[in-house]
Amino acid sequence: MDLSLESALTSAGDPPEQAGRIAGRSLEEWNAAYAKVESYFHALRVRNKVLLGRLVIHVLKRAMRRAPGEPQRSATELAAEEMDRVVTDWFAQVLQEPPTGTDQMLSTRGRLALLLVDMPGKWQEQFLRPGPWPEAFVSSMRKAYLLAGPDFQLAKMTPRPMHLGPITTLANFSRLPAARMVAAWVGFTLALVLFFLFTHHRP
Amino acid sequence: MPPAAPETAPAPRADSSPPLKIVPALPASRWLRIFFFFSSALLLTGFVSMLFADLLWRTGWSASRTILLILFILLFAFSAIGCMHGVFGFFLRLFGDKSRLTQMCDYATRSIAGTSTAIICPIYNEDVVRVYEGLRVTFESLERTGQLERFDFFILSDSTDPDKWVEEERRWYDLIRELGALGRIYYRRRVSNEGKKSGNVHDFLSTWGRRYRYFIVVDADSVMRGEMIVDLVKLMESAPAIGLIQTMPALVNAESLFGRLQQFANRLYAPVFIAGLNYWSRGVGNYWGHNAIIRTEPFMEYCDLPHLPGRRPFGGQILSHDFVEAALMLRENWQVWLAYDLEGSYEEAPQGVIENAQRDRRWCQGNLQHGLVLFVRGLRGASRMHLLQGIFGYVAGPLWLLFLITFCWMWGFQKFTGLSNITVHGFTPYLNLSGTEHALLVFAICMAVLLLPKALALADLARDRERQRAYGGLGRATASTVAETFFSTLHAPLQMLWHTQFVVSNLLGRSVNWASQKRAADGTAWTYAARRHWGHVLIGLFWGGFIWWLEPSTFLWFAPVFLGMVFSVPFSVFSSRSSLGARTRAAGLFLTPEETSPPPELDTLRVRMAAMSGAGETAVGERDWGLAEIVLDPYVNAIHVSLLREKQLNPNYAESLARLGVGQPEVRVLGAKLLAGGPEALKQEEKVLVMSDADTMSWLHRQIWLRPGGTLSPWWQAAIRHHAR
Repeated sequence: MDLSLESALTSAGDPPEQAGRIAGRSLEEWNAAYAKVESYFHALRVRNKVLLGRLVIHVLKRAMRRAPGEPQRSATELAAEEMDRVVTDWFAQVLQEPPTGTDQMLSTRGRLALLLVDMPGKWQEQFLRPGPWPEAFVSSMRKAYLLAGPDFQLAKMTPRPMHLGPITTLANFSRLPAARMVAAWVGFTLALVLFFLFTHHRP
Repeated sequence: MPPAAPETAPAPRADSSPPLKIVPALPASRWLRIFFFFSSALLLTGFVSMLFADLLWRTGWSASRTILLILFILLFAFSAIGCMHGVFGFFLRLFGDKSRLTQMCDYATRSIAGTSTAIICPIYNEDVVRVYEGLRVTFESLERTGQLERFDFFILSDSTDPDKWVEEERRWYDLIRELGALGRIYYRRRVSNEGKKSGNVHDFLSTWGRRYRYFIVVDADSVMRGEMIVDLVKLMESAPAIGLIQTMPALVNAESLFGRLQQFANRLYAPVFIAGLNYWSRGVGNYWGHNAIIRTEPFMEYCDLPHLPGRRPFGGQILSHDFVEAALMLRENWQVWLAYDLEGSYEEAPQGVIENAQRDRRWCQGNLQHGLVLFVRGLRGASRMHLLQGIFGYVAGPLWLLFLITFCWMWGFQKFTGLSNITVHGFTPYLNLSGTEHALLVFAICMAVLLLPKALALADLARDRERQRAYGGLGRATASTVAETFFSTLHAPLQMLWHTQFVVSNLLGRSVNWASQKRAADGTAWTYAARRHWGHVLIGLFWGGFIWWLEPSTFLWFAPVFLGMVFSVPFSVFSSRSSLGARTRAAGLFLTPEETSPPPELDTLRVRMAAMSGAGETAVGERDWGLAEIVLDPYVNAIHVSLLREKQLNPNYAESLARLGVGQPEVRVLGAKLLAGGPEALKQEEKVLVMSDADTMSWLHRQIWLRPGGTLSPWWQAAIRHHAR
């Protein structure tokens, strides 16, 4: 069966396209959008090329459906938004947490969970797939938590007083604004005395 | 980062037993040993100082001779103490040292059940790969003992470099994933690095200290064997009056000629020296800042360091905190021991003359600052001795220089005035020595005091065939000792000049800042060495010329002093080369037990470091690559944001973050600026601020993938292209 590119990307109810254009955008524009979405899934370590291709097409199709209604926005912009939405909605379903729209907490938690359960190694085929998912996968995703330290057990350490003895006087002397100047004069005087002593000794 | 699931482990348990109620007490017989040891050094100093004073008196007394004698007494006393460490250590090892902690405690069968120990590794912009690989081998070694569950590891970062910060977090995750150590190896980065290393440890103790009965401090270049760590806990359990046990880290993994020389000297001479040190300091020992186990409760109670009064460099925060912490433990009667015979404590040393001086520069200020602590009320006499020796280690440089200058002054003055040297009889006429013979006798004694410990270390080696093999045989060890002595003779004048520079700068309230060096493929670059040493070369040429003008026949006597200076550039460059280190190793020179028969921990470390280097993991990335990774990579970003959110749960950190400006709208503005202008648009502290804000970091990750390329700076567009590959 012959399957054209357009048929892969468009649905049956979609309006017919001009040659070299999809959803009112040029092929170059969709190519750039494809690259962007692919890059992100690549960054999520989706290594299986068939799966990767399917996920990208899934996102692009959603972007293409929006494209005719938003002519001022580029294909890449629409595809990136759809990618973000698809991934966040999927996290919400798997983790059973509603997306809040502006807060990226869910996205962070979802990505961390993917890493901790080893999605790229063990559960690649479950990524962005609609439920139901295997119990082991869902349970690991929901329990995944990165422990950077044990529970805090806060304590206050207080330095004990340290009496510096005779050094206190010296330390206080160094606080005087003219201390360095006085020290320089004393040093100069000492140098003179030493020079005199050195040059006036009896053999 | 190839992801794989880390085994999740339960949160570590808190120490299961109640706080110890111990009444600590210092060993009662310590005074006799201290008196005996230092009296020996004083007797020797007194005898030789009399000889020297007599020599000076024979040519007519003068003010300059008074100064020369005072300097001689100070320098000789310091050398005599060193020599006595060697002599006492040699005889103790010969007849059996029964004052070792391991001999005095019945610890081998002691259970450590119910204890909890934290192994903490404070780091500051370190080579992350090396730090983590060192921790990995220590962790694996501890795991093999079957006692891992009693220990937790903490990587305590104070890093200020954003790229290092990212690398530390990323590699920490890799480490816990590969070792299955989630909930066993923790990572924490402080918001501000106030108080430097001691502040870092203080922060750990304030946050988690009460969970652990003991903590072990390791350095970025440390490796510790599992059995030794367990033994340290057993020793602490066996002797409740002990507050701190310091191990004797062996220098390892050196590749350059300089590094191998230091390593050889450390391994061959240290056993004898340390046995001598342990003789007088048993129970009232010292702390060297790492590879030591500490009882948490008294440390938290007594060892929080106050700021010293006065201005920098002496006032303010105590930089070399370790000596002072040991002194404060002792002040409260908690014993401090040196477990020098426990094998399995390792560290690395600088690989070049200049790196060595850079480290000395840092340590110098800290040690000079101890001058203020020296007279603190209530300190033990032994603590004052430790502090004094630390100070003198740096002050000896300028004193030696003054000694040489005074001597040349006297000599030059005599030549200038044309006065002849009329030698009279000394008050030691029964020796019946001419002036020259008298001078030679003093010189010979000085040389003997300096070289005797090395000879005794060789004699100590000659008693043990197995140890000889570890050093490549007695013949090679002897040849190596001779070569090391020649090398250290050339190196000593450079140390003298550097220490003088550091001490004078510190006294004037200035710090000596050096730009980090650009290393050549194999060690120190010629241009860098020339920049660091040109002053030494000039001083050497001038001084050598002056001596030649004074008396060509005595030029050779002074040659060791000038040669090191005049040839400091090639000396520094060649000694830093790994190729020369490898050649000397192939020739069987400067071998150490860890080279001839590496312990499994060091072997694994070497293999893994070579593999990491081969895979390009140790290469330094381009500037801001960490920032690119943390914004672009979905996983690295998630780890970072999670760690920041966890940090917010600690009220102390939350307060520090708020002080930094985290959560303010300005941070989001900086984030937008970062996207539009690239990393160049922000200053380093602005990058750190952005990276400290969890919401902004999440937002940046989303924006970088959502925004059309045209709205991002070319730097980010290139970073995305690079990341996609």
